[in-house]
Amino acid sequence: MEFEEAVEEILSSVDAEREEIEKKLKEFLDYGVPIEQAKNALIRKYGGGAREKKIKDIKPGDRNVITSAKILTIDEREVEVRGKTRKIYRGLLGDETGIIPFTAWKDFGLQKGDVVKIKGCSASEWQGQPRLSLSEWTIVEKVEYDIELIKMPPKRLNLIDVRANISNVEVRGKITSIERREVDVGGEKKTVYSGIMEDETARIRFTAWKDFELKEGDAIRIKGAYVRSWRGSPQIIFDENAEVEKIDEKIEYTPYTIPLYKVVERGGGLDLLIEGVILEVRRDSGIIFRCPHCNRRIKEGVCDEHGQVDGVPDLRIRALVDDGTGAVDVIFNRELTEKLLEKSMDDYLKMAEDAMDYGIVYADIVDKLLMHPVRVYGDSIQSDFIISIIAKDGEKIKPDVKKDAEELMIEIGG
Amino acid sequence: MREVAWRIFAGEYSEASHIIHGKEEKAPKYVITPMGAKVNRLFVVGVLTDVENIGKEGIRWRARIADPTGIHNVYAEPFNPEVASLLADMEAPSYVAVAGKVRIYEPEEGSVYLSMRAEEVKSVDAFLRDYWIVQAARNLKMRIDAMKEAKSMSTPSIRQLRELGYPLKVAEGVLEAMRYYKDIDIEHYEFLLREALSYISIEKKESSKEVKEAEEKLLAIIKELQGEEGAEWDAVIEQAAKQGIERSIAEEAIANLMEDGIIYEPELGKLKMV
Repeated sequence: MEFEEAVEEILSSVDAEREEIEKKLKEFLDYGVPIEQAKNALIRKYGGGAREKKIKDIKPGDRNVITSAKILTIDEREVEVRGKTRKIYRGLLGDETGIIPFTAWKDFGLQKGDVVKIKGCSASEWQGQPRLSLSEWTIVEKVEYDIELIKMPPKRLNLIDVRANISNVEVRGKITSIERREVDVGGEKKTVYSGIMEDETARIRFTAWKDFELKEGDAIRIKGAYVRSWRGSPQIIFDENAEVEKIDEKIEYTPYTIPLYKVVERGGGLDLLIEGVILEVRRDSGIIFRCPHCNRRIKEGVCDEHGQVDGVPDLRIRALVDDGTGAVDVIFNRELTEKLLEKSMDDYLKMAEDAMDYGIVYADIVDKLLMHPVRVYGDSIQSDFIISIIAKDGEKIKPDVKKDAEELMIEIGG
Repeated sequence: MREVAWRIFAGEYSEASHIIHGKEEKAPKYVITPMGAKVNRLFVVGVLTDVENIGKEGIRWRARIADPTGIHNVYAEPFNPEVASLLADMEAPSYVAVAGKVRIYEPEEGSVYLSMRAEEVKSVDAFLRDYWIVQAARNLKMRIDAMKEAKSMSTPSIRQLRELGYPLKVAEGVLEAMRYYKDIDIEHYEFLLREALSYISIEKKESSKEVKEAEEKLLAIIKELQGEEGAEWDAVIEQAAKQGIERSIAEEAIANLMEDGIIYEPELGKLKMV
C-alpha cells in the first residue's frame, strides 16, 4: 500500500486534519511499523468508524461502519455455506442521501419500513456496487424516529440493462401483452396486471400492483419502478409509488445479436437472439424416450411417476453455446434438431436400430455440430449453474470472417 | 455459473504469470493475462503441429497448436481417454479446435507454466480457424480499450468499467492485471492484434473471378518459360500482358499460386512450378 493511499483511507474514516495524519503516519513508518498496521492504529486512535456515516459515503472496503437507515425491502433466502444451509436476508436500505443493498447473515427481525441504527457492519463490492454486510457481530437497534428517504431521480435504463434488485428505475416501452390476475398476498387477495413489454433493446416481463388502465399496444414511460428476479430473469415491477404516463412513441423490438455476457449477467430473458460456438454436446442429446402420460423423460422404460410405460421416442439436443464473453445451454426440440441435422427422427431411429445403439445418434450430432458457430433465438429458463435457452429457432452460421477482419483492422487503424 | 471459454492468442496467454486462487475449497482458479483476461476455460483453434505421447502408460498426450502469435500446449489427461484418443489420431499439420481448462503448473514460488487441459477436441476447417482469430482479436481489442479507459481514470473501479459497458469478467480482469503487472506494454498487444488479423486478410484474401482465370493462364506461361532455372518474373508478366492480363491482376495471380504452393521462387525474380 502506498503512503498516499493509506492517508486517503484514514481520512475517509476519521475526522482529522490531513497534515496531522501525514505526520503521524510517517512517524509510525519511521519506527518500522508496516503501513497496514500503522493505518489501522491511526484509525483507532482518531476514533475511526465511530462517526456515523451517511449511505452515500459508504465505500467498498469500509469496516466497522455506523449508519442509520430505513429498510426499503427485505427478502429471506437460503444459501449453502461450506455444506451447511443458512438463512440470509437481503434487501435495500436507505437514508436521505442514498440507497444501498445489504445482506444480513443472521435474523435481526428486520421488516420493511423499520428505521434502524446499525453498528459494526462492513461494505464490500459486489458486481461493481457497494453492498453492506451485517454479520453476527453487527448491532442493529430499532429507533423511533423516521428517516426521509432520498428523492433521487430514477435511473433511466434500456430494458436490456435492467438487472434484478435495482430500484427506482425509469423505463419506457410498449405493452406487448397484459393480463389481470388475482394473487394471494399474506391471506389477502390482490389484483395484479402482468404481461410483457418491450423497447428497442429487449422484451421483459412486468407486473403492475395497481390498475394503471394499461392495454396491449400502449407505449408508456414508468418512473420509479423496481426490478425483481422472476425464474432467474429480471422482471419490472411498479406500484402506486410509480409514475406511469402514456407516451406517443412508436416502439418496437427487433431481435439483434446480444453478446452472451449480457444474457448471463442479467439472468436470461425473452426472445433473445444469440450467436456462439457449440463447445459441448450434452450427453442427454439424441434420441430420448418420454412417458406417454406426463411427457417426462424416462429411463429404461420406467417413468418416475407412472412406472413401466411404453416410451414415446423424441429427438432433442442440449448443447453448450459460448461466444467468448459468456456461456449458455441451448435446448433444441425435435423440429429444430431435424432442421439443424438435416435428418428426420425416423431416419435416426432406423439408424439406431440398424446399429443396435442409440449412441450413434449422439455421435452424428457431435460430428455435425460440435465446434460449429450457430445462431439461436429463444427464451431462457431458470437453472442453477447455467442459463438455459429454449430455442424457438436456430441455424448453423458461416459469418464473412474476411469482412469482419478487415472492419476490425480499420477500427484499430492498422 | 459456467465459466466462459476465452479465445486467447498464445502470444498473450504464454506471457501470463498471475494466478488467482479462490478462497473457498472448490473455487475456480483463474489465470490473469497481461491484458486482463480472467481465464478459467479456453477455446483455441489453430494448426496442430505435433502430438506426442508423454505418458508412461501411453495415455497422456501433449499437442502443440499454433495460432498466428505463438504455440498453445494442450494436454489430454488419462481421466479423459476419449479426448486423448481423438487427439492421438489427428494428423499434423491440420486445423484443430480444442475447448478446455487452464492447466497451471507452479513448481516453485514465482514460476508458473501455463498450458491447457483438453475437454473437447475436433478436426475443423480453415473457416473456423479464421473465425476464431477474429473472435480472439475482438476480445483482445475490447480488453485493450478497457485498459486504456481504466488507465485514464483517477481511481479505476469495476463499477466505472461496467458502466462503460464492459463485461464483469473483463472489468475484474483488467483491474487485477493493472494491479499485478507493472508497466504493461499495451502497444505490444496492439501489434500482436494487427499481426493476427493481417494473417487472415493477407493469406485468405478472396480473389476476383478475373484473378482466378488469370491463374490458369499464368501457370501455363510459367510452365512454358521455366526451363531448368525458372521463368524470369518480368518475362512472365510481359507474356501475360500479351494475352490481355493487366499487371496488377497478373501479380495477384502469381502471389496466389505461390501461396497455394503450386509455384515457388527458386531464386529472387524467378518462378518455377513445384
